Amino acid sequence: MRRTQPSLSVFTFSGVAPCSRRLPGPSHIHSTRSHAMFSDRLLSVFEIMATHERSGSERGLLCSVASEITGVNGAGIALYADDLPMTRFCTSNPVARTLMDLEITVGEGPCSSSLDSDTIISQPDLTSASAAGWILYTPQALLSGARAVFGFPVRIGVIRLGVLCLFCDEVGELTDAQSSDALLMASVVGRGIVALQAGAQPDSLSEELQSEATFDFSVHQAAGMVAVQASISIASALIALRMHAFSASESLSKISSRVVARRLRFDETRQDWIEE
Amino acid sequence: MARESLLVATLVELADNLVDNYDVIDILTLLSDRCVETIDVASAGVMLGLPGGELQFVASSSESMRALELFQIQANEGPCVDCYSDGVAIINHELGGPDTRWPRFTPLAIAQGFHSVHCLPLRLRGKTIGALNLFRTDVGLLTPADVVVAQGLADVATIAILQHQSSLNAKLLNDQLSFALNSRIIIEQAKGMVSQFDNCDMDVAFARLRAHARNHNLRLTDVATSVVDGSLNIDDLDRSKEKQR
Repeated sequence: MRRTQPSLSVFTFSGVAPCSRRLPGPSHIHSTRSHAMFSDRLLSVFEIMATHERSGSERGLLCSVASEITGVNGAGIALYADDLPMTRFCTSNPVARTLMDLEITVGEGPCSSSLDSDTIISQPDLTSASAAGWILYTPQALLSGARAVFGFPVRIGVIRLGVLCLFCDEVGELTDAQSSDALLMASVVGRGIVALQAGAQPDSLSEELQSEATFDFSVHQAAGMVAVQASISIASALIALRMHAFSASESLSKISSRVVARRLRFDETRQDWIEE
Repeated sequence: MARESLLVATLVELADNLVDNYDVIDILTLLSDRCVETIDVASAGVMLGLPGGELQFVASSSESMRALELFQIQANEGPCVDCYSDGVAIINHELGGPDTRWPRFTPLAIAQGFHSVHCLPLRLRGKTIGALNLFRTDVGLLTPADVVVAQGLADVATIAILQHQSSLNAKLLNDQLSFALNSRIIIEQAKGMVSQFDNCDMDVAFARLRAHARNHNLRLTDVATSVVDGSLNIDDLDRSKEKQR
């Protein structure tokens, strides 16, 4: 790759640890006790989030945590909503920001591919022929210092919220553990985005997520029911449920169970929640 | 029907379903149904997990809220978690016995009338991707022959999930499992919509989605997606014959 821009040294991941670096943590141990491993990883996500919150870097919180937990050089989250172009939600550092902006400008790259195909996109070698398909993205991404890029869909059932992108300055696949951590992080990001859209304070996000580590089925069923009750999309229904849980100071899970049990519903005419 | 005939019929049915465009959740639901028929169990279900990830329910012989609760609690503790973590089958675990290793799961299972629980790992080439969970209301043990049949069905389930890949590539496996787990969420969203629209229980809503998929030779997940994104009117869904109340 012939480098044409003089100020390249600015665009390096300098000071950022290489991709192969792994955080000290349970994922190191390839134990067969996968479940214990999951809880420990989720716990470390929340611990890192809490640390970042204290240091005041709220905007890039989810991205910083994503990059830290997976041990890559940079991470970015692109948001997606129907009828709207993809937007950059946050990035973990300036290089990741350059790469996300590049993707949004040229309209191709790991985020767009992941969003279009609704699958994990893995491009472990941007210098390879297989990366040449992104004719505008790849040359510029290489100039920015990226060598491997990955996209993980952020989705909750039918609701496609965006993509979590990971960037590395070295060629190479993510390890199994990194890949699993990225999927875990994509689900945390999904819940984080819903919570933020429902009005959660960014500095309360780790606490917020920790209290509802996973969505249970009643949440998805309730979202379906509320979508029909209020004639709104499933995404809006999920956010409406989240907001109601906030204002009632109850867990999303409890509110959802009441909806499924038909003790709580959204009245379309009154535009309000009705207890029955 | 004798068990041999049932097994042969099940294998033929699965072979018939394992065509290019099959739906993982649909196949696993079918397998759970057939487990109940061929082995002497009251309820069966499948849980899957991402490598290093939490176990999630994907399919069961019953879609009632009570059944779902029993699987949901196993994201945290229960026979599936242990079986998945250790890759070792749990057979003939008596719920009323002295073993108290699952303080939350066991009382719930007992309250639902179950006497024993069994769990078989879904394994392929040394990798455990999930677990097949069996519940029994009767007193008495599963025979070694029952266990062979159950493990055989668990192996078929594993192949059903991983059939599209020639080698056990970690990226593909992750993508396939995360797709299967997300499919389950789409189905729950669609069940909620149908249950509100028809004012029916979740299991009836599920049966309707499944009947429509079968009748029109569509994938269950695609039908659920069309319902949720509004491209298929709930009114236009076929009614289920079997579970109509």
